[in-house]
Amino acid sequence: MEIFSEIYSCYYRVLRHLLCSRNPLTIKDIYGRICQEGFEESLLSIIPKLEDGTWNLFTRDGELYLSKLSPLFTVPLSDLEKSYLKALLSDPRIRLFLGKEELGTLRQMLADVPPLWEQQQFFCYDQFADGDPFQGEAYQHNFRLLLKAQKKRQYVDIDYHSPKGKRVHHYYVPIRLEYSVKNDKFRVLALEQRRQRRDKLEILNIDRIENARLTDRTLVSPVDINALIRDSYYKEPLKLRITDQRNALERAMLHFANYEKNTVKIDENTYECLIYYNQHMETELLIEVMSFGPMLTVIGNEKFLDNLKKRLYKQKEIDSKNL
Amino acid sequence: MSDFHELIKSFPKIREYVRDFFVYGFKTRNDFKDKSPRTYDNQRRRLESWLAPYVRKDYVPGGFPLSLAIDSNLLDTNPLFQVWKTKSFTDNDIILHFFILDLLQDGKMLSAEEITDCLLTEYGALFDIQTVRRKCNAYAREGLLHKQKIKKSVFFSLDNTLTDWLKTNENIADMLSFFQMAGNFGIIANELSEHLDCQNQAFRVKHSFFVHTLEEEILFEILDAMHKKKALKLEIKSSKREMVTTAVCIPLQIFTSARSGRRFLCGYLESSKRFSCFRLDTIKKTLPLEITENYDELLTKLIRNHRQLWGVSFQGTERHHSDKITMTIRALEPTENYIADRLRREGRGGTVTKIARNTYQYEIEVFDCNEMLPWIRTFIGRILSFHCTAKSVENRFYADLHVMYRMYGIEEDCADDNTEPKRS
Repeated sequence: MEIFSEIYSCYYRVLRHLLCSRNPLTIKDIYGRICQEGFEESLLSIIPKLEDGTWNLFTRDGELYLSKLSPLFTVPLSDLEKSYLKALLSDPRIRLFLGKEELGTLRQMLADVPPLWEQQQFFCYDQFADGDPFQGEAYQHNFRLLLKAQKKRQYVDIDYHSPKGKRVHHYYVPIRLEYSVKNDKFRVLALEQRRQRRDKLEILNIDRIENARLTDRTLVSPVDINALIRDSYYKEPLKLRITDQRNALERAMLHFANYEKNTVKIDENTYECLIYYNQHMETELLIEVMSFGPMLTVIGNEKFLDNLKKRLYKQKEIDSKNL
Repeated sequence: MSDFHELIKSFPKIREYVRDFFVYGFKTRNDFKDKSPRTYDNQRRRLESWLAPYVRKDYVPGGFPLSLAIDSNLLDTNPLFQVWKTKSFTDNDIILHFFILDLLQDGKMLSAEEITDCLLTEYGALFDIQTVRRKCNAYAREGLLHKQKIKKSVFFSLDNTLTDWLKTNENIADMLSFFQMAGNFGIIANELSEHLDCQNQAFRVKHSFFVHTLEEEILFEILDAMHKKKALKLEIKSSKREMVTTAVCIPLQIFTSARSGRRFLCGYLESSKRFSCFRLDTIKKTLPLEITENYDELLTKLIRNHRQLWGVSFQGTERHHSDKITMTIRALEPTENYIADRLRREGRGGTVTKIARNTYQYEIEVFDCNEMLPWIRTFIGRILSFHCTAKSVENRFYADLHVMYRMYGIEEDCADDNTEPKRS
């Protein structure tokens, strides 16, 4: 079994799609598909092979290319793929997606397959202790309902208790379901319907939803979630200076790898890194930066710097009292 | 000059380039000193081709660094999965792939000889029997074909029952959409999604560290050794130093960090009779060795040690068996109750006691308290006291804190900056 194998390659996928086409293809159709699904330079490799017949997978009829394969052509699953699915059967989150019957069927079909890994072979040492109750029936019900609504852009009537203890009741359209690996929790990024104002992007913890009910109303046009998120970023990114001591550069680059960032080398041992973030990420990012101690220097923006200094002042005040 | 090829033969060679471009994003041609300029140019061109929508080119004096603008908050997939789909192949490979699988679609069993004949009669493709047999055997090893011996003949067939069932089940598509972003071997979920012609449009993953997909092949080899309870010889390239070292260990568990995405192989070193962890991204090669007789015993011992592990280190700087940290925190009630919640939620089994109004004490005993410092620092602003039985850890915490005071111009009450601060 190999992960890096041509059977999973981009070229095989593009060709499969071309070959399963029910209609004869022009070279323009083929170009289009390769540009859409291939890499930037794939055209240069694939087209000559098809045109000169080296890959004799089509019958030529003048300018048209007719697939030699049956339109129902299907690639069977490899042992690696089966073994992966078998391992997923032991993940508690699978119950969010598959019902008892589906799980039973899949389990039966994979009865003779060894799992790619077993849960006990992994040990996550820093995941938060209060992850979501994936096994809970109410949780599963809300999760599936939100997923269904997300696909149909359907408004959901949600009763929610906020972390501050407030009870909230609104209509929302789920745009994405977001999982946090660190928190082991799902949240829903949802548009909140507001009277006479533009809908607003909100983030709700699924576990905090008391009650969710599908409504008949749907959102007519699709939502550009990335535009909404980008709009929410502060204009001034966080600006960090990193001195490469105690392996700080690599640690910081890996630690902040999940943020949009830009790093520039200032001199032999100093680097400057811009990190883009929004209000929702602010506290978490501040905590992450503090965790590096003096290895990172915040040089902007002012607001972030002020927040960091406030914490240091508070600590200094405590230290002074302790003297 | 040889032609440029977009596809590659070997994954390990490209792994380091992708990692450097992705993680650092400021390296220019001059920073890849141990590679020839042409190798650098070709690898860079490949990356630009595979990851075109995410590549950002800047200009700085001394070169045009290439970086990858990847914000996991904005993506429905991991762009680095593309790197796994770049394996090169021969003309025969691709033709045989499609024709053999197409020929066997209806479930019939054929021998290599019959397949070779049909390739010519049904598809006009002439191959010698040896080539066809080799491909059929390779596909039987990958599990794409069933191989069955009846009397003296070997027959090949395929079974699409599972693929067909998966294709008709929308919940499976959702499941794969999710797990490609949040789980081990996300690349396989991604390949399965493509196999079933579906795309993730429902899930996002926060704290997803895309770069670690590059370690999946090494992880696969380690898990295989773990299943077989075999020792492993590891070739390790340190990220700090460029030198390559080797180590022999009995692989027992994969330790993962939800905060950094890092994964480690935790193994037992016979030579020093100790447990030790190796970062997967530093492991370049693995070689399976002999089966370990006392594997289960070692694993049980390791699991017993979990409760005293903060991270991945089994020994502190002061060579004590373990050390104890006691930290007192100020958290105003009820508005800052979330701080006590944080101690419980993030404290990895440490005890949290309310010792007075607005005051909580957190205690834990672990092998290496040094590893706790990043977490401890996240409470800066509310730490009433901090004690550690490893004095070097306590000193380091306060020394770093005072460096931070100076860095940010927080007024010093101590006149002499070099004096070690007093503590409660």
